[in-house]
Amino acid sequence: MKIPLNKYGQILTSRPAGREAALAMKATVNPADDETVELDFEGVLSIGPSWLDEVLSSLRAEFGRDRVICLPTKNPSVIESLRVVDAHPPHSE
Amino acid sequence: MKTSTRARILEIIRSQSGTRPADLVKTLALTPQAVHRHLRTLLAEGRLERRGGGPKVRYFIAGKPQLEQVRAWYGAESKPAENPPDLICETRDAFAGRLPRLTLTGLGQDDQSLAIAAVGEIGNNSFDHNLGKWRDTPGCWYQIQSTGGRLWICIADRGQGILKSLARVDSTIRDDQTALVTAFEKILSGRAPERRGNGLKYVRNIITGKDRRGLACRSGAGLVDYGKLGAECKEELADFPKSEGTVTLITWSLK
Repeated sequence: MKIPLNKYGQILTSRPAGREAALAMKATVNPADDETVELDFEGVLSIGPSWLDEVLSSLRAEFGRDRVICLPTKNPSVIESLRVVDAHPPHSE
Repeated sequence: MKTSTRARILEIIRSQSGTRPADLVKTLALTPQAVHRHLRTLLAEGRLERRGGGPKVRYFIAGKPQLEQVRAWYGAESKPAENPPDLICETRDAFAGRLPRLTLTGLGQDDQSLAIAAVGEIGNNSFDHNLGKWRDTPGCWYQIQSTGGRLWICIADRGQGILKSLARVDSTIRDDQTALVTAFEKILSGRAPERRGNGLKYVRNIITGKDRRGLACRSGAGLVDYGKLGAECKEELADFPKSEGTVTLITWSLK
């Protein structure tokens, strides 16, 4: 199941906005048990790590870490954000 | 004589946030023709830049950001008298609404993507760490200037400063410099027990990722810089008052 992030805006920054987006995603996304949740960055200009961390943490908590997938992108803000968020996962135990 | 007049003109322009020819006429007691002749020469020598047109034209030192206004705002001992509405984002929403201005600055798409993310992290930090704790003026100063083939982006706030924010969660941090270095180089958040603390590391990675970028940040007596062009930013912030609050200056080459 694919989530096009450009539906949440072209510029995605701040934790409160990420938290809000995650709540909206969880309210509308309903994958089957064996289905993955794919984040599609096409059409997004810029993403900050705070926004992405809120979304990833929330979706991973809901659906499991392995089922939430970031689709490949050349967007440098996404690549840098993932590097920081996944290298130092502040929400993981 | 002419040389000393030009030196005086440069000195006046350096001390102000943009100077109108009419102000120079008054200050130097010269004719408008003489002032314009000097200004033309200084423009031709690449020492000045002209911005605006008609009666609103102002002259600036070429290649340098104009920071007098933000310095006065940031350093004011009590509530600043001037809060320019086009430069102050009183709420997070106002700041988010102005972030897209970076798409109009001549940056390529990849640079836009990174610059917006970095500036977004810094501006949002102002709100994350100071809500309910502003000294007197809520919000952040957000200003973009383009001069000498560079963007200069300044974000400042009159909040509690980085030391107060971090010392709350790590009592071993006792001075502004240690607090700033920790904020940019270690995973620690002043918003504990919330698990955060990646934002400024991300900003540092972006700034140091290419030679054409630099950043300096002052909070209280602390001052740090990162990136190849960071020393130039640091020089600009060196004479800012050691006020509480935080001011960050980023430069980004457009070439």
